[in-house]
Amino acid sequence: MIEHSIVSAAPRPATVPHAARPVVSTVQQWWVLTVRMITPTLRNGELATQIIGSVVFTIGYYLPLKQLMGAVQPLSSYAQYLTPLIVLQAIWFAAISAAFRSATDSVQGINRRFRAMPIASLTPLASRMTASMYRCCVALAVSVACGYVIGFRFHNGIVYAAGFVALALLIGAALAFIGDLIGIATQNPEATAPLMLVPQLTLGLASVGLQPVQNFPDWIQGFVRNQPLSQWVYGLQALAGDSTDKAPEVTWSVLAPGLAWAVGCILVAVALHAMVTRRRRR
Amino acid sequence: MTPAAEPTGHLAALQAPHAAGGRHRSHKQVWENSPQRLALQTWVLTARILRRWSRDPATLVQSLVMPAGFLVALDIVLGSGIEAVTGRSGLYGQVPLVALVGGMTGAIIGAVNIMREREVGLLSRFWVLPVHRAAGLLARLTADLVRIVVITLVVLCVGVALGFRFEQGVPAAIAWVFMPAIFGVALSAAVLTLALYSSNTIVPQATEIVIALLMFFSIGFVPLDQYPGWLQPIVEHQPVSYTIEAMRGLSLEGPIAEPVIWTVVWSAGIAAVCAMPLMIGYRKASKRG
Repeated sequence: MIEHSIVSAAPRPATVPHAARPVVSTVQQWWVLTVRMITPTLRNGELATQIIGSVVFTIGYYLPLKQLMGAVQPLSSYAQYLTPLIVLQAIWFAAISAAFRSATDSVQGINRRFRAMPIASLTPLASRMTASMYRCCVALAVSVACGYVIGFRFHNGIVYAAGFVALALLIGAALAFIGDLIGIATQNPEATAPLMLVPQLTLGLASVGLQPVQNFPDWIQGFVRNQPLSQWVYGLQALAGDSTDKAPEVTWSVLAPGLAWAVGCILVAVALHAMVTRRRRR
Repeated sequence: MTPAAEPTGHLAALQAPHAAGGRHRSHKQVWENSPQRLALQTWVLTARILRRWSRDPATLVQSLVMPAGFLVALDIVLGSGIEAVTGRSGLYGQVPLVALVGGMTGAIIGAVNIMREREVGLLSRFWVLPVHRAAGLLARLTADLVRIVVITLVVLCVGVALGFRFEQGVPAAIAWVFMPAIFGVALSAAVLTLALYSSNTIVPQATEIVIALLMFFSIGFVPLDQYPGWLQPIVEHQPVSYTIEAMRGLSLEGPIAEPVIWTVVWSAGIAAVCAMPLMIGYRKASKRG
């Protein structure tokens, strides 16, 4: 009996390599994969395109519309009124880049490869989101700088300015998550830009970012007021404040709808993301 | 009976379609690079590109859905303001503007396509077939022409639904439909040239910024007097503004001859600058690998 158990517990044949696996650090893996996403943006012109794009859209909205819209908006200057929309458009462009990268990774099979390696299943997603937030921070910094040049200022002090940044980053995270989802789901890099540009252009134009809701035709005012981009514009305008007291006040009734839209977008995108990923894993 | 007698006839039959200098006879007396073949071959290759586009959801969304949505949004947001300032509907500037922007952004899709065909070796494959050397390039530009005309017609339908009307008769309306294609094809040639000399699709995609500049600073976005004084000469004389002015003349009222001439001058200038680099670049891309 004892002899038998000794036989069954004999060491495995030496021909099968079974060296101890090296210790893997999730944090290090996340960092390596994040750097992999960020480094190319410095070299291939993506960062430069993003900066120039923000500048072009700032002057492209501001110079032509200054006279036309400047008269009908309530704040002290059109720059103060327009900058939240410019920030949101820049963040949206960053999300389009995120979608493009996620679709490229997906179609080139690198995600499948990561699944075959000793990497936690959420690490590639986490690194993509970190890179997206890096793009989002660049977009935010560049667009606020553009706003400062045309005359935008934070009038409510440092705390609300930080709130402005936090809200913008939350929206950026929501959009980046949607972008990542679109990239993963379509696996078609060229399709991502048109798919995300249509809502960007239509929601951007039909929002309170360019002119107050009263200037829209009656039948569309309800949509214009309640769509997410407008609610985010209200929130950002409130947090930025104005030299007059015409800016929306910083109250929960102003901020809550925008926050709800952003959190709602994230929740829905996470759920769909989980669904798509699970289906793909089979 | 000499040993060479039999193979001679056989070899002659084998060598019959070949001639010195690398020219191949496809048929009796019609060389592969004869103008007679060019039209047919260009059409075959154009149809190939158009068929691919018609099956690609990204291209369809970009060419059909986006311009329609953009025009509606532009009209809702700026329409009343422009009408208040100028006294006439903003549609006569916005419909041409959206058609032009749709046509120009589509050039990027063509550029990305040609880069992919270079990577996978399709261009090299065409280069070793008995096809006219100019057919591939001409087919790209012809396909762009067709695409821009289709986009213009789609935008026109949306515009008519919003209240756009032709007031200058049928010949002017027909000329109107082809106006965006003049500058659009010239710009396509420029973007294709850029694509053939770059290894990364970000380069042609960055032309989106140039297109955005042409759009924002044109008389179709807001009337000329809305721009700051120092900017007005630039806005007035850039090609998109000239095209829009010509199209306004052809649909509503206003000068036609002068803006049409300037549109053609701009387009011919861009085409002249790009022509040689484009041909050399296409030849280089076709001989890669």
